[in-house]
Amino acid sequence: MALIKDQQLSLEHAATPELRFADWLSDGSNNADAVLANGDDDLPSLFTNASKLSMIALEFDTFADGRGFSMARMLRRAGFQGEIRAVGDVAMDRIDFMQRVGFNAFELRDDQDVTQVLSKFGEVTVHFQPSADGNGPAYMA
Amino acid sequence: MYAYNQYDQALVDQRVDQYRDQTRRYLAGEIPEDEFRILRLMNGLYIQRLAPMLRVAIPYGLMKSEQLRTMAEISRVYDKGYGHFTTRQNMQFNWPTLESVPDILADLAKVQMHAIQTSGACIRNTTTDPFAGVSADEIEDTRPWCELIRQWSSLHPEFAYLPRKFKIAVSGSASDRAASQVHDVGLHLYRNDAGEVGFEVLVGGGLGRTPVIGKTVKKFLEPQELLSYLEAVLRVYNLNGRRDNKYKARIKILVNALGVDTFGEMVEAEWEQLKGGELRLPWSEIDRVKGFFTGPDYLAVEHAQNDLADAFAQHPQFATWYRQNTRDHKQDGYRIVVVALKNQLQAPGDVSHQQMDGMAALADEFSFGELRSTHDQNLVLADVAQRDLLALWSKLQDIDLARANVGTLTDMINCPGLDFCSLANAETLVLSRQINETFDDMDYQYDIGDIQLKISGCINACGHHHVGHIGVLGVEKGGKQVYQFTLGGSANEDASLGKTLGRSIEQDQVVVVIGQILDVYVELRQTDETFLQLVRRVGFAPFKERVYGTHQRSAA
Repeated sequence: MALIKDQQLSLEHAATPELRFADWLSDGSNNADAVLANGDDDLPSLFTNASKLSMIALEFDTFADGRGFSMARMLRRAGFQGEIRAVGDVAMDRIDFMQRVGFNAFELRDDQDVTQVLSKFGEVTVHFQPSADGNGPAYMA
Repeated sequence: MYAYNQYDQALVDQRVDQYRDQTRRYLAGEIPEDEFRILRLMNGLYIQRLAPMLRVAIPYGLMKSEQLRTMAEISRVYDKGYGHFTTRQNMQFNWPTLESVPDILADLAKVQMHAIQTSGACIRNTTTDPFAGVSADEIEDTRPWCELIRQWSSLHPEFAYLPRKFKIAVSGSASDRAASQVHDVGLHLYRNDAGEVGFEVLVGGGLGRTPVIGKTVKKFLEPQELLSYLEAVLRVYNLNGRRDNKYKARIKILVNALGVDTFGEMVEAEWEQLKGGELRLPWSEIDRVKGFFTGPDYLAVEHAQNDLADAFAQHPQFATWYRQNTRDHKQDGYRIVVVALKNQLQAPGDVSHQQMDGMAALADEFSFGELRSTHDQNLVLADVAQRDLLALWSKLQDIDLARANVGTLTDMINCPGLDFCSLANAETLVLSRQINETFDDMDYQYDIGDIQLKISGCINACGHHHVGHIGVLGVEKGGKQVYQFTLGGSANEDASLGKTLGRSIEQDQVVVVIGQILDVYVELRQTDETFLQLVRRVGFAPFKERVYGTHQRSAA
């Protein structure tokens, strides 16, 4: 599986964690700093514990599940500066939105062409909302 | 009205290219079917029973004549020469091919139009009062706020994959002409006791399988924080709305499950983090957008007005049309003209390409080149000088759009039903035809007076039957199409949900039952009592007795 990180094909990177956030949380002695989370997790505690983590992989079980978009946005707002990796149903047609809300890494399905996916960043350059990538609405520019 | 700047134009142009590439990859087999389904829906493209259907956004129902002309041209080139106005002020084309949609979008982009977020589980086109900015009873013009919401919601990266669709309506008058209480969010612009203008925010209204009247979640919202508050509502919904069952995924279900107080507390907690931040609208931006809605160059009253008494005497039908289809304007010497898309020969809301071109020309000649579409599937020329009314009426006759039936029984809302829609269980267009044939006596309709008949072909309620004074819902039972009646609904400021009258009615009996219901009204009404007032006063018993009563059967 290829990984895109910071808008480039990443050749060396940590594997996607298998440790779920809920398990990490219940095991107080755990010193792992990368977890897997999704919209079913306890979000307030994810946000308060984010500073102890270096990577949070957010799962998209289905194409239609948009909870991860809000989670990424709120993690960045909570000050999380580590890697937010999108895993699961990460199609190229949403990668630009994902980046805007705060994801900076994307695990691709094997059938996806990396060059084509990379071309999807910035496909629409005009934004009317403030977002995690620091770009404010166009009219405020 | 609002005119695109370079940012708006770039957004729709780039969106056309993006969708063109998505269509190309889908046709080349590079995008799985269910993925493309979500992508095309976000761009207003359904696959219907007979062909795809493309829904084009008309932001808050406002159009320039050249935009309507472009839609006429699109209907000629890519469709069968007509279009259909929906209850959310949009335009639908029923026969384009999937392959042609990118070209249609490119044509639309040339006149500052698009189909972005006209379907799918995202924030839909914001709707409003079709008389915004011109009605005599207005507190504050809703259009600048609708435009601000349009911009904020367009390609919002966080809210493209919501649990379900999300509809916002804005009202700014004492009379609610935007059905704001049956929207996911209803916004009421009003002036509080301190004299400040702000929003009352309603949440969790809606129709469909579970009809609900919206509940107040915020009594007074400072207008500069409109977008931050909406963002908080959407974020709470996106994270907490149900995703396991699409019939329980609308925000109304979440609000009912939590209770509006708890839901409101969650929104407040999120809003605490947002208000005063980047989403707070600076007055410079509000004023910039308001600057697009300052109103046209009205004639002085002595030039706009003329005495219509002679015209009324010479053309009694013109007098009737004036009474029935025009409304008071805030500007002396002007009238608001409602053009009913409800003649005997066309489905409610349908409009031919000749009529579109004709209406565009009339807008240019008589109403500063602008038009509006309405929640009840009509068109509005908002700024017509009184001296032009006779000429306008005469030219409307040339395109079969002078029927003086606004607000009457035949000014009904009607979804396309089984003739087009893949969700429908029953035909609806046959009913509007029968109703037009049966109740063709206009004097009878005028005598019945204000009445809202709303017909849906399935439980998804696109025809808003729950909020019709008379609602008709088509269902399938044992292979037959039958119809359930509801009475007493309203989508206006006195919003209420109709209640079921009794067992369902066979298709060929629907007009009979409507006639019986109206007979009861005529017999029992008091002076000046409308149909809805009577239903609320006398209840269902006399109607049940007439429609289902045993004495009739035993007498036969």
